[in-house]
Amino acid sequence: MKHNLLPIALLITAFAGTAFAGTLEGKVSSGNSVVYVDAIPGKTFPAPSKSVTVSQRGLAFVPHIVAVQEGTTVDFQNDDSVQHNVFWPSVGGNKKDGHNMGTWPKGDKRSFKFDHAGVVPLLCNVHSEMSGFIVVSPTPYFAQTDSAGNFKIDNIPDGTYTVVAWHEGSKPQSKSVDVAGTGKADFTVAK
Amino acid sequence: MIQSGPEFRRLRYLLIAQLVLMCVFSNTSHAIPAFARMYGTSCSTCHLDFPKLNDFGKAFKDAGFKFPKDDESMLKIPPVMLGAPANKELWPKAIWPGTIPGIPPIGFRYTNYFQYTGSSSSNFAALTPPGTLPPLVPTTDFETGVFSLFTAGNFGSDVAFWVNDDLSSASANANGGLGDAYLKFVNIGRFLKLPTHALNLRVGQFELEIPFTQARSIWTSPYDIYLQSNIGSMNSVFPQQFVNNHYVLAETGKGVELSGGLHTGGYNYSIAFIDQNTGGGVGFSPYVPTALGSSQGGLGVQSNADFKDIYASFNYRFNLERDKDSRNAIQAAGTTGPRDHTYLNLGTYYFYGRSEQRLVGVGADGTAAILTASEPFYRVGANMTFNYRCCLQFNALYMYGHDMNLLPVDATGTLIPLQSIGQIAPAGFVQGSAATFSGGFADVEWLAYPWMMVMMRYDGVNSNSDRINALITNPSFTGSPFNAAVGSTRNRFTPAVQFLIHANIKATFEYQFRPSQSVIVANNPATGLPMAFNPFHTNTAVLGLDFAY
Repeated sequence: MKHNLLPIALLITAFAGTAFAGTLEGKVSSGNSVVYVDAIPGKTFPAPSKSVTVSQRGLAFVPHIVAVQEGTTVDFQNDDSVQHNVFWPSVGGNKKDGHNMGTWPKGDKRSFKFDHAGVVPLLCNVHSEMSGFIVVSPTPYFAQTDSAGNFKIDNIPDGTYTVVAWHEGSKPQSKSVDVAGTGKADFTVAK
Repeated sequence: MIQSGPEFRRLRYLLIAQLVLMCVFSNTSHAIPAFARMYGTSCSTCHLDFPKLNDFGKAFKDAGFKFPKDDESMLKIPPVMLGAPANKELWPKAIWPGTIPGIPPIGFRYTNYFQYTGSSSSNFAALTPPGTLPPLVPTTDFETGVFSLFTAGNFGSDVAFWVNDDLSSASANANGGLGDAYLKFVNIGRFLKLPTHALNLRVGQFELEIPFTQARSIWTSPYDIYLQSNIGSMNSVFPQQFVNNHYVLAETGKGVELSGGLHTGGYNYSIAFIDQNTGGGVGFSPYVPTALGSSQGGLGVQSNADFKDIYASFNYRFNLERDKDSRNAIQAAGTTGPRDHTYLNLGTYYFYGRSEQRLVGVGADGTAAILTASEPFYRVGANMTFNYRCCLQFNALYMYGHDMNLLPVDATGTLIPLQSIGQIAPAGFVQGSAATFSGGFADVEWLAYPWMMVMMRYDGVNSNSDRINALITNPSFTGSPFNAAVGSTRNRFTPAVQFLIHANIKATFEYQFRPSQSVIVANNPATGLPMAFNPFHTNTAVLGLDFAY
């Protein structure tokens, strides 16, 4: 009997979830930005099991900006024929979270799990012009804008959240946004 | 008084020689911001404290001014093809395809200085003849440096090029000169089935592969031993030297060079054959046209003998990392990123040339004849570098210089002092004691921060020619501080510090504790020979601003 009720219970749960999930849309004044829902007090999220890769290719970090959820493992892969290094002086401005990954040759990779939310400025200590960013979101609700600045974050439970917009070289902007089925938030970022 | 007459002329020649040397060493060449543009990378990819190369910069240079691997994928500005690669299959019925850089790879560099000279320089006023004004030596002085243009790169097929020219030097409207200008055919040993990097060919004008580059040194002041020439005066007091060899080791040479090996580990060598150009007073013929078309000697005919000087060097560098992969890589794998190797480099070098002097004399039959004193000379020495990772380096170099010394004699075999030449015609030469010098330098360079280099250097030169020149010229100061050095040894300590304001802008400071000098010469009662008294030091400091773009 229990076995027969389980699919029904799951179906009800799924529909219930769908009923309370919304979408947040909007636009950031500069493209290639990252928008995320800031930490929600009292709520934690399981770390993603899938890793993300940042490549060093042609003396550049590829992609230049990547957004991940807190707890994500990032694989740093050297795809150049020269030696590279990856380090970051801080995470979210906290220098205690700075870290140096060392040296590894072409084709190899090293991984790091980002357990603290914040912006991670990636640097290479032998090619000082190399620059990249990992934006570690404290929630699974984040998105990277397109080149025009448009973004869309799906599956956000209804509620009121602090939403943050980050753009390279600009001060992060945040605002409180209500999501009830849908939500809208526009940001203006300026240097 | 020696304001006129042959001896004064001799002094004038010495002064001119000094000026020539100064001009030669204004032709410095440096880093290439053009590479930064071509590859979209920072100066610090190749330089520690420009123009000093790090290990990757050395590998870049060894490869012919390109990335050692996958160069095409690193270029942000693709080269322009001078023929499709498939033309290789048509050769010799088609021109072998090459490339030129996608943009003209041009860089510029400018230096500017402020110098301080110790007040003891006023002591030289005592040398001023009565009734004339002493030279003014300002304690503080702004000095313009050098504005240089340089271009370098690769034409494909491992043909590298480099040209640098100082457009202005030392002051407004002062001409600089051509520094290095050459083509380098990299790894031509592949045509002979030799190992990779075993053989390169360089043709043009270039600084020899001397152990420590002078043209691309981070020091503001040159290494004294590299400026040492053997120019020995001759007069009735000191008739024992008659050498007029202007050659100094850091001088650029015109010729060809075979080289091989790498500067990032293992062996490297160089064998160069260059024009002799020792300033022996050989003029150009106005009657003989050159292959380049001028009736006045033309371009490219500036050596003073058919003899070609020979230079050879050999170095072996031991990278000291324990891990084999790291030891053999271009850069070592440090715990916090790639870095220069910890290494010990040992090397040796040898230069052989002939200095020519020509005099109007008499032959065996008593008729007028041109006498040529061909005085072979050599420079030989050794060098050492110990480098600890990114940040600490010890360098040392020793050099011994030796010039054959042919003294003019008359028909009876009696020495003819210089001032008598023209009155008594020399009939030949006898070999006197060689004109020699020895010395070198040792320095330590500490990269305290990626933007701050702290350095200390000791220079020492011991020259019997310098000693003779000093005593002769003392009554009439020639403007060369080294000519008036006390004794035959001149040495100095030079602490320095440099700051990178940006990767391409540098502030430098150098203080030179100079060698002892004197303006008082009196006879030594024991030997009866003149000697210097009351020595003093004229120390100098120099601040510089240096930028490249």
